Amino acid sequence: MTGQHGGAPPDEYVEAEIQSMLAEDPDVAEQGITVVRRERGLVLYGEVESPHRREEILRRVAERFPDLPITSDIGVIRTQAPSQVEELP
Amino acid sequence: MVIRIAAVGDVHLDEDVVGRFRPALEELPDCADVLLLAGDLTRHGTESEARCVAQEFGDLGVPVITVLGNHDHQCDQVPQVVKVLEDAGITVLEGTGVVLECSGGRLGVAGVKGFGGGFAGRCASDFGEPEMKAFVQTTKDSADSLGAALRGLDCDLLVALTHYSPVPDTLAGEPLEIYPFLGCYQLGQAIDSAPTALALHGHAHHGTERGTTPGGVRVRNVAHPVIKQAYSIFHLGDHLE
Repeated sequence: MTGQHGGAPPDEYVEAEIQSMLAEDPDVAEQGITVVRRERGLVLYGEVESPHRREEILRRVAERFPDLPITSDIGVIRTQAPSQVEELP
Repeated sequence: MVIRIAAVGDVHLDEDVVGRFRPALEELPDCADVLLLAGDLTRHGTESEARCVAQEFGDLGVPVITVLGNHDHQCDQVPQVVKVLEDAGITVLEGTGVVLECSGGRLGVAGVKGFGGGFAGRCASDFGEPEMKAFVQTTKDSADSLGAALRGLDCDLLVALTHYSPVPDTLAGEPLEIYPFLGCYQLGQAIDSAPTALALHGHAHHGTERGTTPGGVRVRNVAHPVIKQAYSIFHLGDHLE
């Protein structure tokens, strides 16, 4: 019964489906998001290149699993210039 | 005399990212001789995404050299992507190399996308189904072309640029089960077959920055999610004769 939730804790098929969806959905195409199963739902964490991509990930997962509680801990990667260099003698 | 190398990988550009890197990139002429990009420049490898890369990483005032990553192959538009990048003055390496005249000496950069396969004792073998043989042959061909490119460069300081990792060290943080999809030992073997001073790669978003090949060559994972800044800068000098 892959993909069904029905109030039970998410199983590893749900985790696998979400990982595949995040990688293969052209609107997401993220391979760096980790899906962690908890008793009361899923936690998504990782980092993406823009706030829009983070929102799209959450929207897609919620759309596919509307009854599944999802916690997001996805950050947007900083793009500041480096403050130090690495010397390699 | 020092050669200053800026590097980042896995920037995954599309329209929603254009402009985010540019303020930091504008500083490059003051702090680096070259910018190396370790693949996954785009999300899906489309021509339009390549134009975003050209806009963000073109006209920087320093040479820009790149390899492609697996994302840049997704839509089977590699020739178009390469053309857009090269039209913007970005050098694209795939089993090839280039030598730059820098104030600190001649910098040689050889690059290849690379491929998966795994690491010594835990890797795919050229055996069994044709699909598996084709997988491993891709690994071998890629590493062989990197080795030949590295050994063919006449320079003072030699750098290897790949997307996939040549060592497991810089994958620490990734699940062990996916290491064979993140790199292969044959790339490390190719790097060790030449007097390489530094190897740079991306691809492993949850990996770590530092490692070395079995031959002692320093390896740095410069994937953007790992370095968490627009680029890293490395100063290399004592290798110069």
